[in-house]
Amino acid sequence: MSLYSYLLISIIIFTIGVYGIITQRSGIKILMCIELLLNSANLNLVAFSSYYDNAAGQVFAIFSIAIAAAEAAIGFAILVALFRLRDTINLDNINILRW
Amino acid sequence: MFGDYAALIVLLPVIAFVFTLFLGKKLYSGGALLPIAAIAGSFIISFGIFLEIYPDGTVQQSLPWFAGMNLGILIDPLAVVMLMMVSFVSLLIHIYAVGYMAHDPARPRYFAETSLFTAAMLSVILSDNILQFFVSWELVGLCSFLLIGFWYHKPSAAAAAKKAFLVTRVGDVLFLAGIVLLYVNMKLLVDNGTLVLESQSYILQFRKMFEAIPLIDGTQLTYITLLFFGGAVGKSGQFPLHGWLPDAMEGPTTVSALIHAATMVTAGVYLVARTFPMFVATPSTISAGVPDALLVVTYVGGFTAIFAATMGLVMNDIKRVLAYSTVSQLGYMMLALGTAGTVLGAKAVGISMFHLLSHAFFKALLFLCAGSVIHAVGTNDIREMGGLFSKMKITGTTMLIAALALAGIGFPFAGLGMPIMNIGTAGFFSKDAIIEGALEYGEVTHDLIPYGFAIVAALLTSIYIFRLWFMTFTGKPRSERHSHESPGVMTGPLMILAIFALLFGFSQVGFYGYLEKNFELMDVNIAVHEGEAFHPSAFLVLLPVIVGVLGFLISYAIYNKRMIDMSKIISSGNPLYKLLYNRYYEPKIGADLIGVKLTHDVAAQSGEFIDRKIIDWLIIDNIISNTLFKLGEVVRKLQTGVVQNYASITILGVALLLVLLRLKYGGT
Repeated sequence: MSLYSYLLISIIIFTIGVYGIITQRSGIKILMCIELLLNSANLNLVAFSSYYDNAAGQVFAIFSIAIAAAEAAIGFAILVALFRLRDTINLDNINILRW
Repeated sequence: MFGDYAALIVLLPVIAFVFTLFLGKKLYSGGALLPIAAIAGSFIISFGIFLEIYPDGTVQQSLPWFAGMNLGILIDPLAVVMLMMVSFVSLLIHIYAVGYMAHDPARPRYFAETSLFTAAMLSVILSDNILQFFVSWELVGLCSFLLIGFWYHKPSAAAAAKKAFLVTRVGDVLFLAGIVLLYVNMKLLVDNGTLVLESQSYILQFRKMFEAIPLIDGTQLTYITLLFFGGAVGKSGQFPLHGWLPDAMEGPTTVSALIHAATMVTAGVYLVARTFPMFVATPSTISAGVPDALLVVTYVGGFTAIFAATMGLVMNDIKRVLAYSTVSQLGYMMLALGTAGTVLGAKAVGISMFHLLSHAFFKALLFLCAGSVIHAVGTNDIREMGGLFSKMKITGTTMLIAALALAGIGFPFAGLGMPIMNIGTAGFFSKDAIIEGALEYGEVTHDLIPYGFAIVAALLTSIYIFRLWFMTFTGKPRSERHSHESPGVMTGPLMILAIFALLFGFSQVGFYGYLEKNFELMDVNIAVHEGEAFHPSAFLVLLPVIVGVLGFLISYAIYNKRMIDMSKIISSGNPLYKLLYNRYYEPKIGADLIGVKLTHDVAAQSGEFIDRKIIDWLIIDNIISNTLFKLGEVVRKLQTGVVQNYASITILGVALLLVLLRLKYGGT
C-alpha cells in the first residue's frame, strides 16, 4: 500500500461527492455528499501525515472532523426547518434564496 | 485637597443618574436617595473648593481631547459661587421633591432626569473651554425637554416641552455660529503666530479667548459676542425668545423651581458673565462710550424686564405669574451686565451674579411654596384659592418672605449716609445695586432709558407678586377645596431657603470684592474709566424702596381691601387687558405665524418642492437611479435560488483556480 493508493481512493471519493452535489435533488443527499468531500480531504491529510511522519496532518484532520460534525448538525437543522415550512426537502422546489 | 476631586462635582450626579434610571424601582423611595446623596457630595466638594481657593485662587485641570477641543475644569470665583448655589438649591429641591412627588408612579425617571439636569448645569459652570460649555449647554436643553414633558401623557405638557426645546434651539444655533466664528478668528491668529498655544486642542479655552481679544478685529468681536448673546437670549428667555418659559410650567412644580432658579435659565446669564471681557472689548459705534454688544444686552434685558412684568400682572395661574417674574428678573441681570459693565467694568459681573444668586434663593422658594399650595389645594388657579394662611402658616410665611425679597423691600440707611448698614431682604440689596448701576450709566452716557426700565419693572414686580400672595393666602376661600400644611420634608427646604432669602444680602460687600478679581486671575484687564465717586440724591437712593412699598400698597388696596372693583377692568372688552392676557399674542405670532405659516408652509414646503420635484426628478429619476436600476435587473438573474447552481459555480471556480495554479507554477 503506497501513498498513491490512498490518494486514489481519496480522489474517487471526492469525485463522487462533487457529482452528488451537482446532480442530487434531495437535501439530505447533498449534505451527505459534502461529508464525502470533507472525508476525502481528511483521508488525504492522514495519508500525507503518515507518509512524512508529521503529526500536524492528523491533528488537522481531527479539527476538520469536528467542524464537519458541527456543519452537518446545522445543515440538518436547516433542512428540518425547511421541511416544516414547505413539506418537502426536494431542493428543486425550494428557491427561497432567489431575488 | 478638594481641588483634586473637582471632576466629581459633575460625575457624582451622572453616576446617580445612571443607577437611578436602571435600578430606581428597586431602590428606597423610588430612587430619591441616590441623587440626593450625589448632589450633597457635589455641594460638599464645591464648598471645600471655595474654602480652599478663597480669596484669590483658582482650580484648573485640562487634558487635550481631539482637534480644537479639550476637557477641562476651570473653577474661579465666578464659577465657585455658582457651583455652590446650584448644588445647594438643587439639593433642597430634590429633598422637597421626595414629598412633592410621593404619589407619582414614575419617580425613578423623575429623579434620574433631575440628577442629570443638575450634572449638566454643573458641567456648564466648570467648563474651561467654550466647546465643552456648549456640549453641557445642549445637555441642559435636552434635560429641560425631558422634564417639562415629564407628564408626557398630557398633550399640553408634550407641546410645552417641544416648544421649549425648539425655541431654545434657535438660540443654540446662534451660539454655535458664534463659536464657529470665534474659532475661525482664533485659528487665523494661531496660523499667523500672533497667538501661541501649548497644544492645538487648547484653542478654545476661555483664557486663550481672553488673550486673543485685543488681537481680533473689532467688528468680528461684535458679531461673535452678539451671537453668544443670542444663545443667552434663548436659554434665559429674553425677548423675543421668552415664549417657552411660561409654557414650561407644564412640568412638575419642582422642575419649574429647578429650571427657574438653579439651572437652565441662569446658564444664559452665566454665559454672558463668563465671556464678559469680550463684551466689554467690543467697539462703540452706536452710542459713545458704550460697547455695542453691551448696548444690545442692556436694551434687550431692560425691555424684557418690563415686558414680562406687565404680563405677570394678569396671569391667573400661580406658576405662570412666577414664570413671568423669572423672565423679568433675568432681564434685570442682563441689564446689570450691560449698564454696570459700561461704567464699572468687572464689577458688573459681581452685581449681576449677586442678583442671580439671591434670585435663585427666593425664586426657588417662591416656586416651592407654590408647589406646596398646589399640593394642598389641587389647582393652579389663584382665583380658586384664598384664605389659605390660617391652614398653611409655614408656607404662607416663607412665601411672604420670598415676595418681600422679590419686591426688594428694605431700607438703605448707609446709602443715606446714616451710620448703620443697609437692612433688607436679599432682593433689596441685589436689585438696588442694579438700579444704582443703571442710574450711574445714565449719568455717564445721558441715556436714562435703562434706568426707567428698571424702576418701572420694579414697581410692576412688586404689584404682581403681592397680588399673588394676597389672592392666595388672604381673604375668604373662594372655592370648596380643603387644604392642609405640607409634610416636614417639604417645609424644611422652605424654611432653609427663607433664611437665605432674608439674610443673603448681607454678604454683598464681600461678594463683590471676591468676584471683582475674577478676570484679573485670568490675566484679563477690563479697562474702565474710573469716574468720580457717584453720590445720587437721597430721593434717588430711596426710589427703589418707595417703588417696592408702593407696589405692596396698591396690591393691598386692590386685592385685600377690595377698594377698587377689578371685575370691570378685567373684562374681555378691555383691549389692554386682552393684550396682556393673551401674552401680546406671542403664542399666536410665534407658533402659528412664524412656526407654522412661515417656516412650515413657506420655507419647508418650497424646500420640499425644490428637492423632491426638481432635483430628484432631474437627477435621481432620470440619470442615476434609472441606470442603477437597469443594471440591477440584469444582475439579479444570477440569483436563481437553486442550490445546485451555486454549488456548480463554486466547483467550477475551484477547478479553474487549480488549472490556473497548475499553469503558473508548472508541475510534473
